Amino acid sequence: MFPVLSDLAFHIVLALADGPSHGYAIGKDVEERSGGRLDPTTGALYQALHRLADDGLVAPAQAPQGTDPRRKYFTLTAQGRRAAAAEAQRLDALVRTARKRKLFPQRA
Amino acid sequence: MSIHRWILRVAARPMPREYGAAMEETLARRLAAARAAGTRRYWRVWCRELSGLVALAVTERWGARARAVRRAARRRNEQRKAGAMDAIVLEIAHAARRLRRTPAFTLASLLTLALAIGANGAIFAVVERVVVNPLPYPASDRLIELDHGAERLNLPAGMGNTSGLYFHYVERSRALESAAVYRPEELTLTGHGDPARLRVARVTPSLASVLRVGPALGRWFTEAEGLPGGPPVVVLSHGLWVRSFGGDPGVVGKAVALDGLDAQIVGVMPASYTFPSPNVDLWAPLQLSRAAGFGLWNYMGVARLRDGVALEHARAELKGLIADIPNAFPGDQFALGNAQTNLRFSGRTLKEATIGNVARGLWMLLGSVGVILLVACANVANLFLVRSEARQREVAVRRALGAGRLRMARYFLIESLLLSTVAASLGLGLAWGALRLLVLAEPVNLPRLHEIRLDAVTLAFTLALGLVAALTFGALPVWRGTDAAGALNESGRGNTLTRRRHVFRHVLMGAQVALALVLLVASGLIVRSFQKLRTVDAGFDPASALTFNVAWPDREYRSRDEVVAAHHAVIDRLSALPGVMRVSATTCLPLSGGCSGNTVRVEGRTYQGGTVPPLAFFRAVAGGYFETMGMRLLRGRTIARGDVARGEPVAVVNETLVARFFPNEDPIGRRIASNIPPARPGEAPTFTWLEIVGVVSNTPWRALAERDPMPQVYLPMSIARGPDSARAPAIGPGISVMTYVVRTATPPLVFTASARQAVSVVDATVPIAQVRALHELVDRSSAQMAFTMVLVAIAAGVALLLGAIGVYGVMGYVVSQRTSEIGVRLALGATPARVAGQVLRQGAAVALAGVAAGLVAALAGSRLIESLLYDVSPRDPLIFTVTATSLLAVALLACWLPARRAARTNPLSALRAE
Repeated sequence: MFPVLSDLAFHIVLALADGPSHGYAIGKDVEERSGGRLDPTTGALYQALHRLADDGLVAPAQAPQGTDPRRKYFTLTAQGRRAAAAEAQRLDALVRTARKRKLFPQRA
Repeated sequence: MSIHRWILRVAARPMPREYGAAMEETLARRLAAARAAGTRRYWRVWCRELSGLVALAVTERWGARARAVRRAARRRNEQRKAGAMDAIVLEIAHAARRLRRTPAFTLASLLTLALAIGANGAIFAVVERVVVNPLPYPASDRLIELDHGAERLNLPAGMGNTSGLYFHYVERSRALESAAVYRPEELTLTGHGDPARLRVARVTPSLASVLRVGPALGRWFTEAEGLPGGPPVVVLSHGLWVRSFGGDPGVVGKAVALDGLDAQIVGVMPASYTFPSPNVDLWAPLQLSRAAGFGLWNYMGVARLRDGVALEHARAELKGLIADIPNAFPGDQFALGNAQTNLRFSGRTLKEATIGNVARGLWMLLGSVGVILLVACANVANLFLVRSEARQREVAVRRALGAGRLRMARYFLIESLLLSTVAASLGLGLAWGALRLLVLAEPVNLPRLHEIRLDAVTLAFTLALGLVAALTFGALPVWRGTDAAGALNESGRGNTLTRRRHVFRHVLMGAQVALALVLLVASGLIVRSFQKLRTVDAGFDPASALTFNVAWPDREYRSRDEVVAAHHAVIDRLSALPGVMRVSATTCLPLSGGCSGNTVRVEGRTYQGGTVPPLAFFRAVAGGYFETMGMRLLRGRTIARGDVARGEPVAVVNETLVARFFPNEDPIGRRIASNIPPARPGEAPTFTWLEIVGVVSNTPWRALAERDPMPQVYLPMSIARGPDSARAPAIGPGISVMTYVVRTATPPLVFTASARQAVSVVDATVPIAQVRALHELVDRSSAQMAFTMVLVAIAAGVALLLGAIGVYGVMGYVVSQRTSEIGVRLALGATPARVAGQVLRQGAAVALAGVAAGLVAALAGSRLIESLLYDVSPRDPLIFTVTATSLLAVALLACWLPARRAARTNPLSALRAE
């Protein structure tokens, strides 16, 4: 139903979950959240954003007053939210399987 | 930064423009942040960002198409899953809309197909349930009828069985697993509403093991109840149970009064059990005893073959058993006498015996309705062709736009499938209605009528017909092919049809005419047969007379004198009624079967041992019978009331008896006797000699068009057999039950109430039964032919209608196609009459060819119809000529209308329409 979200795409979606944001902020958010594992270059970041926009998960948003007009803001669409939820569910299922197979400690 | 900007420009080209500016801004900030973190970090980030941009440039450039394809594929996939069903529904909706836009075509095809499919479905149902379906008993193919014939008596079959023969077979036959005999009887039911006359089947209890069908309530008879002196018990039929006992489940064990005697109800049979016939109200046990010796030919029989035994094998075994009769019944004169008549077993499978000769007629009927279906299909095919050609441009455009052959086929097929499905459903409804009508009409000679219904097989057959029709019509336009380029090039409505299409359409038209002719000829022949049958002299006057049965119960009318007195009382009361001209009674009316018969001895003739005297039917009558019946007296005098009153031993015989017994002599004054066996075996026989006093005209005993008239002897009822026949010497039939004939001045059925009243005045507990007008006997006899005639006539009528429509349709289309040509000719000076004449000539030529082909087909198939005809040759030239000319006339009329339209063409508008 939903296109498979790559690691980076999922993180971008997570970054946008709290509200619209622009390229630089999204990049920094992703780097922090992933603990430095993911540090997308500008090219990779905007390519991912472009793909997400093409798939309808992300849409251009209105820039707030008084900001650099070159900045392009993005927001998460309803479809994007659903896709993120689906991906989260998939990951959850994987974690549960890992727990069952004793690869991951049970909740305390 | 400048390198980055340059690469960014290149990389961002495939991306939307606004991204480029945003990317620049983001890149600047990242680099600035990196510089703030130190030179090393700055250079590292610088390199990473560069390679990132290069990667972007590359992947965006080359990956775009792949992504687009993937995206499109995904979208298509989603659409297909959701829209697959929608697409088909959409196509069907489009097809329905197309059909609705041409209402004339749609309606014509629908009706034609529905009619044809419905007719086929109905007849198929009848053939399937009556002829093909096995009888409704377990392993019914093992059931056979028990019947005998006697070569020396010229009776190939129909003698039935005797009780002695039944026991003989049951004890000695290995081929027969079980056997039962039965005979019909009538008993009066009292105590449940008006006294009613019931049709009873007296059967041996072994019937249950032969047919293997058990009762729905209670039980069947036990063997003990089949022995003489057994308790009087009865089993009800479902119909009687519902009618007279209200369907009360507690009826088992109750007593019921039959002919004054109480009998106990022990069971009720299921609704589907109708042995030996659907109008049996009650079964009672037949109490037979071996002590009766060989016995009389009173019973019909049925038996079950042992598993694995063929009928031929059984026949051979029974032949041996018959040959053994003299040993099995030593000293029994009757047995000996019968053995000398060359008895043979003539039983057939029970199914054959039930269906009789109907099978052949029904298959023929199916054939003729099949012919109608062909005619109808030809019609609809023509209509489809016309329509497809009118849409040639549309088809050509579609083809040019890329629709493949398969797509076009689907386009047409959905239309024809839709049409055929609706037509088949309509046809099913018609068939259902026709079957209900048939069952209501109750044609006398159609056996297993109550088993006819619309079942799954017929449903499947009808739907299959619809499917075949759909495929044929749908495939037609595709098969005929469309020359796409040519169609697009043609201006307006095409100047001429290609030669091949012209010929094909005319062949179809001719075929319709031919088929219609075949059916019309068949119909004409049967109508003529029917006419001839109706004019056959029945030997009596069937007009304006009432008949009904009266039965005096043995318990109250114990002696012959009492019975005769009762009959006379009723006759006197009836004669006194206004409007009644004559009244009399007999034990057997004409056209009622054989009734009672026996071999006849002529006084003064000796019979060598081993020869058998000929057979004759004996009928007891009241005084004035021949006058009441309107029979012709040829010689001598008739039996009068005085003869009956005095008990005179006289007899009146018919022409056939004179021809057979007294070929060159005057029979008046000669004496004859019924060849009754002596009361005890071994004694010398005593005969009651009757003096012949008159000769009357023949009356048919079985059917109007009878090839085997039987000798008949009429005697006064006072010397026939009464309830006390053991004491008084008696001949022939029992007179406790007789059929009255009342000749009336006014329509006979009006007298029913008075007749009932007259009888109830004499005895209130005695009902009258089988009240009918005398002419119904004659009607019933010709009923089978009437039935066939009506059906074939309907078929012919439908074929004629369809053929006329077809001719009109084709010629109309031809005219419309050639409007411009006709316009030109009219403009150039041709008279309208000449134009019309040319169209007419063309149509007439095809019709003539069709008629000729039809004549050939009818002549070729004449042998098939021969068995249905009476006194008419299947090649009767009069019928052929009349039907051919009338069909030709109808075809010409159908051509004339379009011809007139052609003549009225306004040349200007015709040319302008081009």
